[in-house]
Amino acid sequence: MNPVIQLSQLSKRYKNFSAVEDVSLEIGKGEIYGFIGLNGSGKTTTIKMLLGMVRPSHGSCYIQGRKIELSNHSMWANVGSLVETPYAYPELTVKENLEIFRRLRGVSDADVVHQVMDQLKLTGYAGKKAGKLSLGNTQRLGIAKALLHKPEILILDEPSNGLDPTGIIEVRELFQHLAKDLGVTIFMSSHLLSEVAKIATRIGVIHQGKLLQEIRTDQFKDLLQKRLVIDAREKDRAMTALNHAGYSAVFNKEGRIEITADYAVRHPDEISRYLVSGGIPPTHLALEEEDLESYFLHVITQRKE
Amino acid sequence: MAFLRAVQVEMLKIRKSKMIWITLAVFTMAPMMAGFFIFVLKNPELAKSSGLIGDKAQIFGVADWPTYLSMLAQIIAVGGILVFGFVTSWVFGREYADRTVKDLLTLPTHRMILILAKFLAVMLTNLLLSVYIVLLGVSIGFFIQLPQWSLEMVSDSGFVLLATTLLTLALSTPPAFLACYGRGYLAPIGFILFMVVLAQVIAAAGYGAFFPWAVPAIFSGMAGTETALGAGSFFLVLFTGFIGLAATVSWWLYADQH
Repeated sequence: MNPVIQLSQLSKRYKNFSAVEDVSLEIGKGEIYGFIGLNGSGKTTTIKMLLGMVRPSHGSCYIQGRKIELSNHSMWANVGSLVETPYAYPELTVKENLEIFRRLRGVSDADVVHQVMDQLKLTGYAGKKAGKLSLGNTQRLGIAKALLHKPEILILDEPSNGLDPTGIIEVRELFQHLAKDLGVTIFMSSHLLSEVAKIATRIGVIHQGKLLQEIRTDQFKDLLQKRLVIDAREKDRAMTALNHAGYSAVFNKEGRIEITADYAVRHPDEISRYLVSGGIPPTHLALEEEDLESYFLHVITQRKE
Repeated sequence: MAFLRAVQVEMLKIRKSKMIWITLAVFTMAPMMAGFFIFVLKNPELAKSSGLIGDKAQIFGVADWPTYLSMLAQIIAVGGILVFGFVTSWVFGREYADRTVKDLLTLPTHRMILILAKFLAVMLTNLLLSVYIVLLGVSIGFFIQLPQWSLEMVSDSGFVLLATTLLTLALSTPPAFLACYGRGYLAPIGFILFMVVLAQVIAAAGYGAFFPWAVPAIFSGMAGTETALGAGSFFLVLFTGFIGLAATVSWWLYADQH
């Protein structure tokens, strides 16, 4: 199947600084691709190149097989976007802001403005000037503009910015509905890693302009590092016994014993039995799993090393 | 169709902004001041009793329609560079200041169409401002009952007013480029103020005919009849306008838009 979004060896250099370096990725129809990275890692520059706002120093971007270039402007009819912080014409009302983009996009059905306001729960603010909106509602307006023309592709930079917890859930459900039921392809960057993990079908980790890793979220569980955390009344004895048995136990920050050895993680019952038989019964034994934040830091740290 | 839609949207944005109404209010002061000076000039008793204002009013010469309409042309020539430049700076600079430019760059419309629509909207707005100033000025002229109204005078003065407006309009394109390049209003507004000051200095030095920003004022009669403008002066103004337009279009088409 042809990719809907394709970045091919994409690079952007500013004098002596490389903002994006040789990034290649492909996104298929109906996928939600989460693009995560630290501030200044190259997420927004990549999105700007994908949207034709910034010219790549090397490489190309393609949307539905068409190269991003000035003359291919008609391709934006199928794309909705949101870049960086929310923005709108402050002196115009919510409805007017949407109405002008309906006109500029040449959407003949005037009802889409009401539909999208309803979808993003903005109907109550239709007559309010955009400059008077809260950050969360301005973000909703930004998303509404991106969805106004019912695009097949959404390119969103930090779409959950400024939204309250309810808003985050609503927007997540909306994106999941668009991708699952309507086949909309979504490329989104976010620093809310747990949010990305909940919504994305695939995650790309970018750091210092380089795409370090791509992970399918359904395989994600297997990649997360698991550890066995143990506590005992005689910690030092337990530690010596475990190391003697070859489990490479260490004390963690909380002063508990931690084992990451694969066998121990898969057989906590045997570890328990071993300690009990040695006369050092554990007072706490739990299998803990790395979260996305830790995994992300782990990937970046590995890269630095 | 896309072009017309874009012009319509730009006009809506201008109409809904506070900027245009504040500009209109400030610009309204100019013909009212001119009318006041002409009124003082027309009434010698009042001129004698009003001290400094009366002395200032004498500078304009005689209180008749040709003098008064020439004053209006001078208002458009100097005030227009400021006001038209300010409108242009706002229309282009606000897209960067409000960060709305990102929405415009991902429309399924060629950027050239969007930028030309902006220029047309700016030109129409500035033209309407000029018409408003002239109509207001003429109403004040009738109100104070100025002498020497004739069709021939209207035709001559009308031509000067129109040509001054067009020359001033042509000079409003460089601020558009500076608004894009500087991503806001400050750079173009600073540029406009600097050009107005520089035009005064250069015109005073006798080289106004070679400086585009001095040409409309000289043409409107501000420097008296002895300062002649050649075809080269008008070409210089049009060329400056074209450079401003071309630079703005190129910026939108080829520069990285952060």
